[in-house]
Amino acid sequence: MNKAEAENLDEWFPRGPLVPDEATKPARGETPIRLGVVVGGSLSRGLAVRMELGTPIEEMAVGRYVVIRGRDKRFFGMITDISLESSNPQIQVSPPDFSDPFMAKVYSGTATYGVLHVAPMLVIEEDGTARPVKTVPSHFTDVFAATADDVNAVFGQEDEVHFHVGSPIELEDTRVNLNLSRLVERSVGIFGKSGTGKSYLTRILISGIIEKNAAVNLIFDMHNDYGWEVINELGRRDKGLKQLFDDRVLIFTLDRESSERRNVRVDGEIRLSLREIEPEDLAMLRLTLDLSDSMVDTAYALHRHWGDEWIIKALSATPDEIEDLLERLNVHTGSLSALRRRLERFRRFPFIHSDRPDDSLNRLIAAIEAEKSVVLEFGRYGNALEAYILVANYLTRRIHDMYVEKMERSLGDRSMQPPQLLITIEEAHKFLDPQIARQTIFGTIAREMRKYNVTLLVVDQRPSAIDEEVMSQIGTRITALLDNERDIQAVLTGISGASSLREVLARLETKQQAIIMGHAVPMPVVIRPRDWGLDFYRALGYVEGEALKEKADEARRDLGGEGGPRRL
Amino acid sequence: MGEQSQPIAYVLRGSTTGFVCGTRVNRLGATAFGRFVRVTVAEGGETVLGLIYGIRIDDDPLVRQLVLAEDVPESTVNDQRVNRMVPVEISVLNVGYRDGRGLHHSLPPRPPLSLHLVFMCDDAEVIAFTRELSFFRLVLNAPDVPSEDLLAAALGVAADVRESDARMQFLIDAGRELARLLNHDPRRLENILRLIKPEEVSHE
Ligand SMILES: Nc1ncnc2c1ncn2[C@@H]1O[C@H](COP(=O)(O)OP(=O)(O)OP(=O)(O)O)[C@@H](O)[C@H]1O
Ligand SMILES: [Mg+2]
Repeated sequence: MNKAEAENLDEWFPRGPLVPDEATKPARGETPIRLGVVVGGSLSRGLAVRMELGTPIEEMAVGRYVVIRGRDKRFFGMITDISLESSNPQIQVSPPDFSDPFMAKVYSGTATYGVLHVAPMLVIEEDGTARPVKTVPSHFTDVFAATADDVNAVFGQEDEVHFHVGSPIELEDTRVNLNLSRLVERSVGIFGKSGTGKSYLTRILISGIIEKNAAVNLIFDMHNDYGWEVINELGRRDKGLKQLFDDRVLIFTLDRESSERRNVRVDGEIRLSLREIEPEDLAMLRLTLDLSDSMVDTAYALHRHWGDEWIIKALSATPDEIEDLLERLNVHTGSLSALRRRLERFRRFPFIHSDRPDDSLNRLIAAIEAEKSVVLEFGRYGNALEAYILVANYLTRRIHDMYVEKMERSLGDRSMQPPQLLITIEEAHKFLDPQIARQTIFGTIAREMRKYNVTLLVVDQRPSAIDEEVMSQIGTRITALLDNERDIQAVLTGISGASSLREVLARLETKQQAIIMGHAVPMPVVIRPRDWGLDFYRALGYVEGEALKEKADEARRDLGGEGGPRRL
Repeated sequence: MGEQSQPIAYVLRGSTTGFVCGTRVNRLGATAFGRFVRVTVAEGGETVLGLIYGIRIDDDPLVRQLVLAEDVPESTVNDQRVNRMVPVEISVLNVGYRDGRGLHHSLPPRPPLSLHLVFMCDDAEVIAFTRELSFFRLVLNAPDVPSEDLLAAALGVAADVRESDARMQFLIDAGRELARLLNHDPRRLENILRLIKPEEVSHE
């Protein structure tokens, strides 16, 4: 054989087989990393993807997106579990010498290999439209790590309704842009254990909602997290909504002293008259105040008897008057005195008084009518649950009435309707406990207020304590790490394909990582929420001069050794 | 190509699965267990590619006598080694063939015929043939052949003719192919892998 002939062998035997197949169409831009091929599975249980030689299994993580490139469709899926398999059980019995690099390289990916379990979530048709998955890709379809382009194609660009809330995991430079109009048109839940970043994430979402005019907000700010400055875990001062949005956000307070001490620029103080409290408000406090049915009945009886002065009169009644009352109203002595003891507690709160109602509440309601977002600070009273619930319930009831009336007056004319209102409550399960959810205004809003343009944003660490029916109305669920099995169950109930997300959910980072699923997203997505800091403020148009000064201050503080290293 | 372009042997007998060729001791040259040889079946026909799996030196009456004789002169022994009356027999396992359409990793359609010339494959041919590894199957499944040692030796040859920086990868790819083929028999797999494992792992 001569030389030319020998070289010809190259042509006869093209160097194909060991090189990855290039025939599959990669997305624009970067070349996708091939992870493996589909080897089995089903729509309901998810797909098994055998990992490709050389794909480092330790770099895979649950929650990561993959793209399965079928012949003319692309499937989006999420890695929900990772397992190690071996092709022959005997290998596990007498394992080969993996300490030898040659042996390790030969065995891994062949006789022993990794399997990614992938939940298919979305199909992108050839023309680019996204649809829910109704089928699975065929055997041996190639699976790639999702690229920035892939993700952008699903979550769109930032525009009048889409707001950048964070990045998918492993794709730090990619943005998840959430459709805020869709988000607010149904109730939203933000869940997670304590310290996982719920309040920060809520603040980011509400910033977007204000920025994009997606809704007017009313925030019952239990722990003074939203309106003004907050000190983060590292001791840094982070801005509140009013500092970013100025007069588009008004701060009302129940505790002027606390607000002043924190230098909050307050727009109004809320005082509640005992005359404004109605028996319905007490019914809501049934659990918190440990009220029995007959105590609540007694409250209604007193109200019928004395009108709006019922609490004042009940508290100031002399023994004789009480004697007389018992006879006339046919109420039980025990219930009456127990009720009086409970009502007595209200007097401890300086923001509750027995004068005629002033117009402080009306001013808050007027602000909402004027389409301003309102943060109601509780100051030191946030820890007094009865105060929080009482005020939130009372105010919400009034606003609810206003909305119902306006909606009915608009007779379906959209231009006449009041703007979408999103009411944020923390510790939501205290309002939405199964025992009270049916009777309270929050239960009502969650269940039926969508048609009155009012929705809830509930922030909670114990979703399992929320009434199931209410939970089923929470269209979009955003959840950070939860470790209680019942909470995980509660959050996933009613989300399609949710069971496969369980592993993902239980393995989120302990902070600043969350999975968004439901109404507002085309498919569940695990995000790292944006950092709440200067870059974020600037993106919202925060004045550059001030921002620069702050950056300098911050740098100085860093040099001074306060706080740890961090990204600006 | 020098030495390699000289024929090393003539076919003695053959079949589609393999053949035996005979030669003189001084023609043995680079023949060795596990090396690749080729024989062109007919003018313009297929070229059969095979692996040497046995080299056999039979005795003959003269050797028998010499073994018994005393004080045989050195020159007689040498002469007897080279100018024997029976040929050295080289057994070859067919692992593929080449025809007008290219290289095939399967048995040739026809066996080589008696007295066809057998050549050693040169480096380029070995590289081209071992670019794909599907001939493993023919070796592993061959009856009456020390298939594990044979495959290991052939892979050693194929690795050696490659650039030094491609050797390790070649052996790893080969090992992985074996891992797939011998999935059902981990002991046999481990056996071959131990045989092909490079002495020292490359420095990268
Ligand atoms: N997006 C973010 N940007 C910057 N810091 C964050 C972010 N998310 C969380 N953090 C950090 O994590 C800390 C805890 O977050 P956050 O107060 O929101 O937790 P939480 O879930 O509301 O806790 P709790 O249930 O106790 O109220 C913050 O003080 C902050 O330092
Ligand atoms: Mg919080």
